[in-house]
Amino acid sequence: MSNMMYVTPEQLMKDRAEFAQKGIARGRSLIVAMYDAGVLLVAENPSASLYKLSEIYDRIGFAAVGKYNEFDRLREAGIRWADSTGFTYSREDVDARALANYYAQYLGHTFTEGQKPLEVEVLVAQLGNNVRPTKIYRIAYEGTITDEPQFAVLGGDAEAIKNRFTVTVPESASLQDVLRGAVSAIAGPERSIPTSDLEVAILEDRGKRRTFVRLSDADVEALLA
Amino acid sequence: MGLPLFDATQDPGPSFVSYARQSGLTLTSASEHDVSAHATTVVAVRSSDGIVMVGDRQATSYFIAMRDIRKIEAADHYTGIAISGSAARGMEFIRIAQLSFEHYEKMTDSALSLEGKANYLAPLVQENNLYTPLTVIPLLAGWDTSHDVGRIFEYDGAGGCYERSDFAVIGSGSPFAEGTLRLGFRVGMSMEEALELAALAIYEAGDNDPSTGGPDFVRNLYPMMVTITQDGFTELPTSYAESTFRAINERRTQSQGVAGGTLR
Repeated sequence: MSNMMYVTPEQLMKDRAEFAQKGIARGRSLIVAMYDAGVLLVAENPSASLYKLSEIYDRIGFAAVGKYNEFDRLREAGIRWADSTGFTYSREDVDARALANYYAQYLGHTFTEGQKPLEVEVLVAQLGNNVRPTKIYRIAYEGTITDEPQFAVLGGDAEAIKNRFTVTVPESASLQDVLRGAVSAIAGPERSIPTSDLEVAILEDRGKRRTFVRLSDADVEALLA
Repeated sequence: MGLPLFDATQDPGPSFVSYARQSGLTLTSASEHDVSAHATTVVAVRSSDGIVMVGDRQATSYFIAMRDIRKIEAADHYTGIAISGSAARGMEFIRIAQLSFEHYEKMTDSALSLEGKANYLAPLVQENNLYTPLTVIPLLAGWDTSHDVGRIFEYDGAGGCYERSDFAVIGSGSPFAEGTLRLGFRVGMSMEEALELAALAIYEAGDNDPSTGGPDFVRNLYPMMVTITQDGFTELPTSYAESTFRAINERRTQSQGVAGGTLR
């Protein structure tokens, strides 16, 4: 006779969710917010080479928190998906919503069917143009996808940071204001984060096809000064 | 198509071509007949400040198929790629090169070196040319940001990749363009001198090779003129190409079609 204990589906899901949440809470948080000319992605990241933010396509950026090996694999899959979709059809047919849905399906599937859920939260941001709107899609560890209206916070302290993020309408604020608001929200009242521990990127139209730009420490310092 | 996820042991890495092969995105199949428009002349010349590339605009099958085809494109900010041979395969080749370099950069967060880009294309040339009659010969030139120098890489039909320190020529009009470059090339030319010489080489090819288009004053179409320097790839405006080719044409008219012993 099997000596497997019966576990209710409710309990199983709860355990899995707790496991994923714990893993995600271990890392530092990040904020992605719209500003008057684009989308800002800012993460607290002590590593200068293991990035949490990445370029996916001409107008699509990626951000993630949690286990690096797990979200980096998703990042790579996103780049492959975007490049092959653009190659097969056209560059303008690459849509962030489709990618966010694939991520949601994969995370949802792994959450229920996998050995263990992925300990990641993923975000896909799209800079709008005359064909598509500016969008921020956040995908949770269990596959829940949310269309965030102006900004999103990812990571363990998400709720607290969200309450501290005081830029009420980031969409119409300048890059400088939104960056300042984001950095102080991530840091909280008792802490200040050195520039070298910040990873900052933007999606902004600068007359080039590719809109994703990493900001250097000097750029960030100048904006925060 | 779903999310392209791979196990660590099956992962194609940052190479777009490896991924495309694994997923069946690109197909190479053999045909007995050469079915597409082709023929070209493109030259790349090294000057003291970088590389110039000039190429004609005509695609030829049994008749002239296109008069304004672009055979030189920016592969990325610092690299130019030109193609000769099958137009269909050549255009695909340019797309694959552009995509592969950008794909690698996004996947690894660092750009390929110029030599890395040149070597990456070699097996693609080999595969295409050994297994199909739709031959493509590319020409790669760029600004090497790690050594601050312009460099030219040419390929043979079997995919051999060779660096050239002076100039390189591809396409059916090569003999005439090459002859002009051999007589006119000097080490340490300025960009303007290199552009002038490269334009003259294309003019000679267009004059003598039926499959290479010269300047088309009727339709205001001129060979493409490109510079690649430390500032990157720049396509010169039509007005620049027009005045360059009008000057050559004027001299040639004055001499009644005779090149005349000196380079002119």
